[in-house]
Amino acid sequence: MASPAGQEEPPQFPVRWGLSPHARRLLTLSLAGLIIAIITRRPEFAGLAAPALLLLASWRTDRPRQVGVRVSMASVVVVEGVQTSVGVEISGLADFGAALVIDPAETVTAAAPVILPSGMPTRTARLRLTPMRWGRRSLGVLVITFTDRSRVSEGTVRVSLPFVNCRPRPAQLTGSIVLSRLPSRLGEHSARVTGDGAEFAGVREFVPGDRQRRINWPATTRHGTLHLSTFAAERTQNLVVIADETADVGEPGASTLDLVLRGAAGAVTRYLAARDRVGLIIHARSLSWVGPGQGQRHASRLLDLMMASPGGWDRGVSLTRLPRAALPPGALILVFSPLLDALFIEALRDLRERGFSVIVVDVLNAEPSPAGGRLSQLTGRIWRLEQEAIRFSLTQIGVPVVHWDGISSLDEPLAPYTRRVVVARR
Amino acid sequence: MSARRQRLTAHSSRRSVASIAAAALLAAGSICWSAAPLAGGQAGTRLSLIVAIVSGVMSIAQLATSGIIAPSADSLWPAERVAWRLIGLVRWLPWADLTIVATLALEALHSARPWHTAVLGIGLTGYLLAAHLTESGAGASVLRAQLPLLAAGIGLTGLAVAAAALPAPPAGPGAALIRVAAVVIAVIVAGMVVPAWLGRGR
Repeated sequence: MASPAGQEEPPQFPVRWGLSPHARRLLTLSLAGLIIAIITRRPEFAGLAAPALLLLASWRTDRPRQVGVRVSMASVVVVEGVQTSVGVEISGLADFGAALVIDPAETVTAAAPVILPSGMPTRTARLRLTPMRWGRRSLGVLVITFTDRSRVSEGTVRVSLPFVNCRPRPAQLTGSIVLSRLPSRLGEHSARVTGDGAEFAGVREFVPGDRQRRINWPATTRHGTLHLSTFAAERTQNLVVIADETADVGEPGASTLDLVLRGAAGAVTRYLAARDRVGLIIHARSLSWVGPGQGQRHASRLLDLMMASPGGWDRGVSLTRLPRAALPPGALILVFSPLLDALFIEALRDLRERGFSVIVVDVLNAEPSPAGGRLSQLTGRIWRLEQEAIRFSLTQIGVPVVHWDGISSLDEPLAPYTRRVVVARR
Repeated sequence: MSARRQRLTAHSSRRSVASIAAAALLAAGSICWSAAPLAGGQAGTRLSLIVAIVSGVMSIAQLATSGIIAPSADSLWPAERVAWRLIGLVRWLPWADLTIVATLALEALHSARPWHTAVLGIGLTGYLLAAHLTESGAGASVLRAQLPLLAAGIGLTGLAVAAAALPAPPAGPGAALIRVAAVVIAVIVAGMVVPAWLGRGR
């Protein structure tokens, strides 16, 4: 149905009426007084019940059975740990005050309730809540409690809040790793070769065909022959982020999968902001990927892919089967992984052998808890040695492995590579 | 946060503390009033007093924690988790109802004293109203519309007390019961008639 203004009527929800806690307590006082009066044959107890009984008698009987409630959100895409708000519009029950409370779903935190006074046919409010973990999830249930003027009767309406796509909170990353060899595509990184950029590269002798506007007059005067300034070419960089979702160990909220997604989101956000071409490969039960690209829409595609990929592990998954478009030659590969899957580690070795520059961010912050026995401690020690050996073997073949705890900024572990140009070795 | 909102928040928290304090004072006063004199009670007075004190304290704790919002289970430290379990324990039972029943039982265990009981009734009604104001976060002004009803109720209490204070005529064993039944019926009838009479203009 449409209202005269053209706006659709809000959906109707049934109201469940009952006694308010205040009315229940008044009823307890009245009944206790009257019962004690009869049992003990003392009329003063009946008199004691009179004020409570009179207050209860102001109970309203003309209560509407339905109310219009519209719940709206500005966007169904939210970011974990970032506060969002839900708009609520109530049409009807103008004589009743309304208290709006969110009964939050798991891993969602709701802010304080909102009280709307009576007196207006349409009332609106905004309720704030914060999803604390990524994933597609329900925000909870909106509970609206209507109270009459004497606050004796109470009506309750429960409205389910919409599902949202909660994206992982991007890890903080301000610096960026730049390779020495960049593809010949216009970008914002100064390359080693000369070109038409803005960064000064050097001075050389003039040869016919050079542009006259680049003549360096101080050098020309000093040498007596024409010299001109040269500038570094500005190139873009291809970055492929590989998120290893095969394992999820550790405390919920700070597990390896959480850190993999937050790190990958941070890298994607940072490099796209620097106008680099960024691609994403999700290594999980199945291999899913988006080739390198630029722009806001591409960023959304990448973040949506992170949410859509099924977690888990499958033996048949192999990075060698990826098409050239997903792994362009000369691309920098940034891997976020707990390095617990032997096949994935083999795939990393294979990538290095194919000539890619690979940097691994190790997100493993948990280890098996020993049961207490000597054998268990020995097993734990062997496991730790094995993990160290895996990381050492990767470093030996030219794949740097840095450890990230998920708390500090990603700049900290990546600092040795962001401060200078990383030489791409083949 | 704007200055106006800050002022409003500070004002509402002050009001909340004041109404919790009022509820605590009225609950403590009612329990002490109904227990006095402690030596004059029948068997079970001490038990009723203990129940009244425990439930009274818990009801005030329940009021003080009523505004706390359930946090996300993931974001809790171990100490916070323990604190949240304690709050759950406090919210588990209707402590205010238990306080009322225990206090009335305590009063009933003493010998008949009509005016004493009437004062207790006013104290308990005040305690319930203070508890209600704390829970709803409203000011005392919301009770203005209920003042005629409260005045009528106190009047009825006075009448019942007067009826109880009248010297009993020499009659059979059923006379006292009939007198009580008459007062109960009078209170119920008045409870139905007075609100309708007060609301006839609406």
